Parts: sequence; structure tokens; C-alpha cells
Amino acid sequence: MSYLSLSNVTKQFGDTVVVDNFNLDIDKGEFVSFLGPSGCGKTTTLRMVAGFEVPTSGKIMIEGVDITDKAPNQRNVGMIFQSYALFPNMTVAQNIGFGLTVRKEPESVVKSRVAEMISLINLEAHANKYPYQLSGGQQQRVSLARALANRPQVLLLDEPLSALDAKIRVSLRAEIRSIQKALGITAIFVTHDQEEALSISDRIVVMNAGEMEQVGTPFEIYNFPKTRFVANFVGSLNTADAEVVDPTKGLVSVDGVQFTSAEGTKERKKGDKIKVAIRPERFSFAALQHKDNVVDAKIENITFLGSVVRIQVKIGNTNFNMDTFNNPFLELPKIGSIEQVTCSKEAVLVLDE
Amino acid sequence: MAQTIVNSKSNKATTNWKVWLGVVPFFLFALLFLFLPSLRLVTASFTAPDGSFTLDNIRQLFTVPVIVNAYKLSIQISAVTAIGGGIFGFLLAYSVTVGGLPKSLRSVLITFSGVASNFAGVPLAFAFVATLGRQGFITHILRDYFGMDVYAAGFNLYSFAGLSLVYMYFQFPLMVLIMAPALDGLKREWREAAENLGASTTQYWLRVAMPVLLPSILGAMILLFGNAFGAYATAYALTGGRIGIVTIQIGAQIRGDVLYNPGLGYAMAIGMVVIMAISLAGYSWLQAKTERWLK
Repeated sequence: MSYLSLSNVTKQFGDTVVVDNFNLDIDKGEFVSFLGPSGCGKTTTLRMVAGFEVPTSGKIMIEGVDITDKAPNQRNVGMIFQSYALFPNMTVAQNIGFGLTVRKEPESVVKSRVAEMISLINLEAHANKYPYQLSGGQQQRVSLARALANRPQVLLLDEPLSALDAKIRVSLRAEIRSIQKALGITAIFVTHDQEEALSISDRIVVMNAGEMEQVGTPFEIYNFPKTRFVANFVGSLNTADAEVVDPTKGLVSVDGVQFTSAEGTKERKKGDKIKVAIRPERFSFAALQHKDNVVDAKIENITFLGSVVRIQVKIGNTNFNMDTFNNPFLELPKIGSIEQVTCSKEAVLVLDE
Repeated sequence: MAQTIVNSKSNKATTNWKVWLGVVPFFLFALLFLFLPSLRLVTASFTAPDGSFTLDNIRQLFTVPVIVNAYKLSIQISAVTAIGGGIFGFLLAYSVTVGGLPKSLRSVLITFSGVASNFAGVPLAFAFVATLGRQGFITHILRDYFGMDVYAAGFNLYSFAGLSLVYMYFQFPLMVLIMAPALDGLKREWREAAENLGASTTQYWLRVAMPVLLPSILGAMILLFGNAFGAYATAYALTGGRIGIVTIQIGAQIRGDVLYNPGLGYAMAIGMVVIMAISLAGYSWLQAKTERWLK
């Protein structure tokens, strides 16, 4: 039996279906991210687990106990908010101890757990400070400690890094992940930032318009997107209209230029209109690396992006981006020249609509 | 380069001069109608009728029973209406902000409060005389249709209770105007975080919402206190001077129909200034505390 389970969960506001028949099982200690654009239903789903929204239908269970109709303060679920939501009238220590105090834990338990949590987030020197005296990153760490102090069954993180600057975001997400692993706590992390989701999660649920598009490990989601939406939303992607030329050999034609795909055409027939996708980093200039897809490409533009150089090429009449890692000895082609580019047949994805 | 710097300085000076020109009328107004009269108040408080220096006016503030009672009465009426108006205004503001009443009602109440908080003096007194006076409209309706003779039951519009009721008319709307934004400032996430940590609604209000709001509530009540403490025309128009609050006593000393001791009047005004200054200092301290928390 899974640790946390959402079965056929649907949420409607009036006539608008915000979350539609959502099914997900999460194991104990697993870190799952809900990834999707604004309005896709990820935060609403999280809020239903927290108890702030009641599902229109469906069931939410933790360790086999149905919590669907329980009030938020009757669930043992910790939550971290995007805006930190620290109580401004309380010090760091008082904020962390709040949950234990309202649950009428003995003073000695409150004291020792607060000390333990403060040490966990390395803010010993700030225990008696008020939230306004802390930086955003420090406030979010206090929020994490406060949520963990009650020893919740599940930790919910609602875009906790969105309000922080880039550097803090990267370091704090690593800190959150390492604390989550150390405590073995089950966590759901809501984000619209694909890099965040890919770097921190055991599994990612990609959501769109209230529905789950794909559930998988970061590796699966990035390398084997099942739908056009996932492919477009996660990472950069070249997509092009194509036609099936030989389904058994995986041969497809993009504007008359033929590519071979490793999978995805077997269930189709010759002449079917399809959509193919190739990630920019899957192209390369080393024409002899792959025998499957070697095509002529006109160099249209070159953009320096720091660690990566993006080259815009035209293959047939279709524009593609190709990325190559930057290095000081990189020899770049001239704009306007014709070069041979290649990609493996595994790189050519055939997408469902 | 040197030329450029000179031009830049010259432009800056011109800009500064123009900016200052805009505030000249305000400073002139403040000088003529605030600072100079205040200075006159201070000097006149220490001046005897014959023009000599005296501490007698200040001494009388603490020794003459009529004056001491006037302060007591003013403080009482201000405190009663500040607390009453504060509680009533807070509950109203709560109802239309976090209480969940329709938003249309909120705009109606805020508009009414904006008007009512400035409705004072002779028109307010007359409005109450016309409605709750002995021959007032409401008094008649209560007596003729509901059999309730409020005056026979002990109510008197021209008494301490009546005057307090009239003051409440402009006190509670002021509280609504001050508290509505403060209540809007309570973040939804605080309530949700508290609930998520296991707190009940009561625990949330007692441990989070009220402590956050308390400086604003107390600060607003201090403002209401000052608002009532400085009122003159409403009390004078309603009671004709029968209720001897400080402002009416000052008027009597300076206008001088029966009493005439301008020096004592000025000294009483200084006493009011001191009380108001203490009130405002308390208000500022509480506001600063809230602002620091909510940064």
C-alpha cells in the first residue's frame, strides 16, 4: 500500500474543473514534484492534501487513513508557503515552537525540539530574532523548521523558492533535499520551474489544465516526454510537423528531409501526419558519430549563452536549434555555411498530441 | 568638465528652489496658525491679568476643583467613547473585511464612515436633538408605536450618556476607517500556517491575529481619545455648556460672559496640548511597532 494516495480527486470551482480525476500514489520518504504552468491545478491539489480545499470528489489517504474530510488542524501535514508565512509577532524560536505549543506539548519537549530544529537549519545565532530581521532565505529555513517541528507525516512545499534570488534558491533547494532525505520524510513540492523539479525530485508529476500529463523520474520526463506538452514544457525542444514514410523502419519526413526514429511509428501507417521532436543538445556536428540521421544544415545564427552555444540551423525548410557545450577551443562554423549535422535515432521523438 | 559641474550645480539649485516654493504656503500657514498661536499659548499661560509673569495659572490646573473636574470629565467622556467606538468600529470593520460579508456592503460602510467621521459640531448636535431630543423624531416613534418612553426610563440626550452617544456617531466610523486596512493586512497564509500547525481558530486569533492587530487597535483608540478630547462645538451646541468639559471651560475663560481669565484659559489649553501630545506619542510608538513587524 502506498504511503500517500490520491484517488480520483477532482476539484471544481463553480463550473470550472481545476483538478480533473487526479490519481497518484506516493511512497514513504519519496520526494515528488508537481510541475506545470500557472493555473494547471498543482497548488490546488497541494491545498487539498493540506485540507485548505475540499475535493469535489475523490479520496485522499495517508497511511491507509482517509483524511479527505479532516480539518487542516486535524491532519499531521506540514506546509511551507511561498511567502514564508512566519508569524511577525514571534521570534524564530517561538515560530518554530508554535505548533508544539498549540498542541499543548510539555515545555521541555517544546524547548528541546525547537533547539533541534534551529540546529538543523543552522540558525542558532538568530533564535531570538523576529522575521523582519532575517533575510528571505533565512525566513524560509525557519518556515521549514517550523513545519518539521511537529514531525508531520507529509511535508508540502508550495513554491517555497520562488521569492528568493537565484543563488539562494539553488543552495536552499539542496538544503531542503538533504534535510528531507536525512529525515526520510515524504514530500510534495509544487513548482513551475523545471530546473528545480528536475534537480530535486524522485518523481515529477507534469500537470496541464487540471490533468496529469506524465508521471516519471526526472530522467524519464526529460528524455522520454510522452506528450507534446511535456516535451515543450520541460527543457528546450525543436518540434516539427512530419509524415510517416516507413513505419517499420521508423522513417519520417520533415519537409522532405528524412529522419529515422527509434520508436513511436510502429503503430502508425505510411502517410500519417505526426509531430517529431528533437532536443537541441542531441544534434552535433560530428557527422560520423551516428549513421542514422546525417543531414545538411545551413547555419543561420549563433548565440553565446555562457556554458552553452546555441546554433540556429535550417534543415530543409525547417528551423532547428542545436546546443553545444562551450569551450575555449570550440571551432564554430561560419554563418551562412552548409554543414552536416547529425542526431541518433533515439533522439527523434514522436509525440502524442 | 569644470563647466559641466558648475551647470549641474546651478540646475540643482534652481530645482531645489522651485521645490521649496511649493511648500511655502504650508509653512506659512503652519507658522501663522500653529506655531505662533502655540507660542502665544505658552507665554500667555505664564502671564497674570496685569501682564506680569505668574505660575498661578498652571497651579490652578491642579488645585481648582472646577478645572480638575473638567479634565476628569473630558478624560472620562473621551475614554468611554474611545473604548465604545473602538469596540463597535472594530467589530464593524471585522465584519466587512475578514468576516466575509458581501463586498458591496464594505464599500457602502467605508463611504458612510468617511462622511460620518467628519460629521460633527453644530449640525451633528442638531441632528441628534431632532431625532433623540425630548421632542425628537425617534423619541416620538419609540413612545407612540413601541410604548418606550426613553426619557421616562432615565435617558437624557443632554447628559454625560447623551453626549457620549453623540460622540460615538463620529468615533466608530473613524475606527472603521483605521481598522479596515489593518484587518486587510492580516495575511491569509498566517491563518493557514496556524491551522496547518494544529491551531484552532481561537488559538489563531489569540496568538497571532490579535497580537499583530493590538498595536493598531490601541493606536486607533488613542486617536479616538484625542478626537473626543478636542471636541468643542458638538458639546457646546448640544448642552449649551451645562457639561463642563475642558474645551467648554476654556471657552468660558476666554470668551468671558461670567468667567474671564484668559491666562487660565491658555494654561488649560497647554494642559490639553500635553495630554494630546502624550496620546500622539503613544499612537506613534504603537504604529512604529506594527510597521516594523509587517515590514
